[in-house]
Amino acid sequence: MSPTTREGGLAASSRVEVRPRARLPRFLRSTTLQGFAFTAPLLLLFSAFVLYPMLSGLYAATDPDSYRAIFGDPVFRQTVWNTLWYVVVAVNVKLVLALLLSGILDYPFLSIRVLAALFLIPWAIPALPGILSFRWALNSQWGIFNHLLTKFGFQSVPWLAQHDTALAFVIIFHIWKYLPFWTIIFLAGRRAIPNELYEAAAIDGGGIVQNFFSITFPLLKSLYLICTLLSMVFTLGDFTVPWLLTGGAPGDTTHVLATLAYRYTFAMGRLEWGLSTFAVALPITLLFIGMLMRWVKI
Amino acid sequence: MGQSRREFLKTTAIGASAAGVVGFPAVTRAQGGKLVVWWNKGYYPEEDIAMQKIVKEFEAKHKVEVDLSFTAQEDLLKKITAALIARRTPDVAFCFYNDWQVVPKYGWDDKLADVSDVIKELKARYNEKMLEVAYVWNNKSKKRSYYGVPIEAQTMHIHYWRDLLREAGMDDDPAKIPLKWDDYWAFWKKAQDTLRKKDPAKYGKLYGLGVTESTRASDTLYNFEMALLSFNGEILDKNGKIVADQPKNKKAIVDTLKWFGDMFTSGYVPPDATNWTDGDNNAGFHSHTLVMTPNPSQSIPAAQFFNKEDPEKKNYFDNMATIEWPDGPDGKKARYLSAVKTIIIPKDSKNQAKAKDFIKFVVEKDRFLEYIKAANGRWFPAFTDVAADPFWKEGHKGPKGQKDLHVPVATRIFLERDNKVFEHYKHPALSQVYDEFAYAKAISRIITDKWTADKAADEMIERMKAIFAQYK
Repeated sequence: MSPTTREGGLAASSRVEVRPRARLPRFLRSTTLQGFAFTAPLLLLFSAFVLYPMLSGLYAATDPDSYRAIFGDPVFRQTVWNTLWYVVVAVNVKLVLALLLSGILDYPFLSIRVLAALFLIPWAIPALPGILSFRWALNSQWGIFNHLLTKFGFQSVPWLAQHDTALAFVIIFHIWKYLPFWTIIFLAGRRAIPNELYEAAAIDGGGIVQNFFSITFPLLKSLYLICTLLSMVFTLGDFTVPWLLTGGAPGDTTHVLATLAYRYTFAMGRLEWGLSTFAVALPITLLFIGMLMRWVKI
Repeated sequence: MGQSRREFLKTTAIGASAAGVVGFPAVTRAQGGKLVVWWNKGYYPEEDIAMQKIVKEFEAKHKVEVDLSFTAQEDLLKKITAALIARRTPDVAFCFYNDWQVVPKYGWDDKLADVSDVIKELKARYNEKMLEVAYVWNNKSKKRSYYGVPIEAQTMHIHYWRDLLREAGMDDDPAKIPLKWDDYWAFWKKAQDTLRKKDPAKYGKLYGLGVTESTRASDTLYNFEMALLSFNGEILDKNGKIVADQPKNKKAIVDTLKWFGDMFTSGYVPPDATNWTDGDNNAGFHSHTLVMTPNPSQSIPAAQFFNKEDPEKKNYFDNMATIEWPDGPDGKKARYLSAVKTIIIPKDSKNQAKAKDFIKFVVEKDRFLEYIKAANGRWFPAFTDVAADPFWKEGHKGPKGQKDLHVPVATRIFLERDNKVFEHYKHPALSQVYDEFAYAKAISRIITDKWTADKAADEMIERMKAIFAQYK
């Protein structure tokens, strides 16, 4: 048996020497160059559509006057608070509910499968019709919520016309819309847990709660943390839900950073303010991404 | 195969250069001989058809290709803003928001072409009051000039349902609606009270006053500034200096804010009015849940005119009417504000001469009359010869010979009332005050945060002063 290299080729002693007819310059024979040639389309697209806009955006966001202007705007301060509320409450409530609901959807009953299909609808439909339905349902004059309230003798509530309830419904819509997605992720995580662990726990007399805290949650912990970080990154940049549901109203009190940056840029023509608003959120986003990469060891 | 550091750097440099050359091709700014026109999409198909016809005629006469595109106003504003910032511009742009959000700011920034020569040629035809809107300050050349060509205008009207007043047993004749300030507003409140009492199931959620008070709607600016004029308040002096903090004006601002706050909290304005967009008062009115609504264009009657479910046009001719803003609390006749829609030519356009020819071609009397009439009276022409057409005085004729109760009212406001253009032409900072919805925010402070009108006015004036200070 001939000795072979790790790559499976013949050892030098048994190789047949083949001399190239014309020798190319060394750098043209480089595998790095070949690598670049094959990845060039992706690199070009990445440079044109990610790197260039990002760098030019960062460059435009270096103007200190923009930061003075946005920090002097009372709407900006309110917006930072709203964003914190939005990210912290929406993400955590959504993921805790998703983790619990994934347990229910794990039961092998037909009724649960039907329920799961219905449960996926909010995630499957586009955001716009969902938000419009919410807006109509919350209308203080003809919305179904107030219709029911007044039917039972309560005062109607202008849900989207006061800060607290408007922001609350932005959070509620976000949870309603994205809960199914994260539930399915956790369901997949649950299904990857070996059944033997539960069988062993059952022999030891473990109940549902003990199983959850001793088997399910410890094994899903990593997934849960990754989902939390991912969801925080998504939610921090969420524009669609707050913009379409409240548009910042009433009185520009329900903006989040994404909608405020849009408003600065397009409603007010202040591109540099919009970019500075995004730049304010950038360290937090990068922190989340850094934690995520460290966690999943990318 | 291993690689040296030098080899790595060499290949990386090649890759980066290739990306630089291929990845960022210079986008040609000029479109060659083609004239690029971005036009606001009309509210009715007839408007777009009329513009397409004009373009075809222009192409035939001037032997030039025109690249015409229509975009809805909200999207077009963003498109124009991005184009001006990126300096990749069309040759001609007409957006319904140009007068407010483009001309003052980008004229100041020297990003628009000076069109004084076009205005000079057309000056004899203009309704002089409407011309001011495009005469803005260029902060580079340090002088005022015309940076837009005004073509059509909108102003404040109030629409109401005559059938609802009839049902309430009140006089529905437009001539009989009281015009004194307090009586006027009390009239609509009475209509709400009467209708709710008469049929709580049907009218339990009907409101007398469909007054927009939101940071999402430009209608709020109109409503606020109209009320401020009624209370004799001014934001700017004739030189564009902010005078909102002068005692007389501060008092007017406080009175105006208080009036909005009281109207809202008294329960005669829908609670969602603080969250309305520009279309929501229209929608509420069309669905008969509002007795009246102020609206700064004729879009509401125009929509009823084209209502396919009402082939006899009963709503347009019999069931609704348009009336004027009431006399001020001091008894003086209402003063009006007009928003004058304006065409711009970006300074970066390489076809400025052709662009100017195109604008002059569009606004030629007969051609422009056909175009503006396609909007069904929604806009009023900025040219006196076009406005002299009988349509503006008479409007449409009803199938049973009914008189038009909408278009002639707008014409009367434009031609017979004290009417001035919005004052953002005096200083672009006012345009930013509008962009920030500073008035609506102050109203919201009173309604939502329960501030006093005084405190809300102080915050608003301070914010306005801070905005003005940014423009040096």
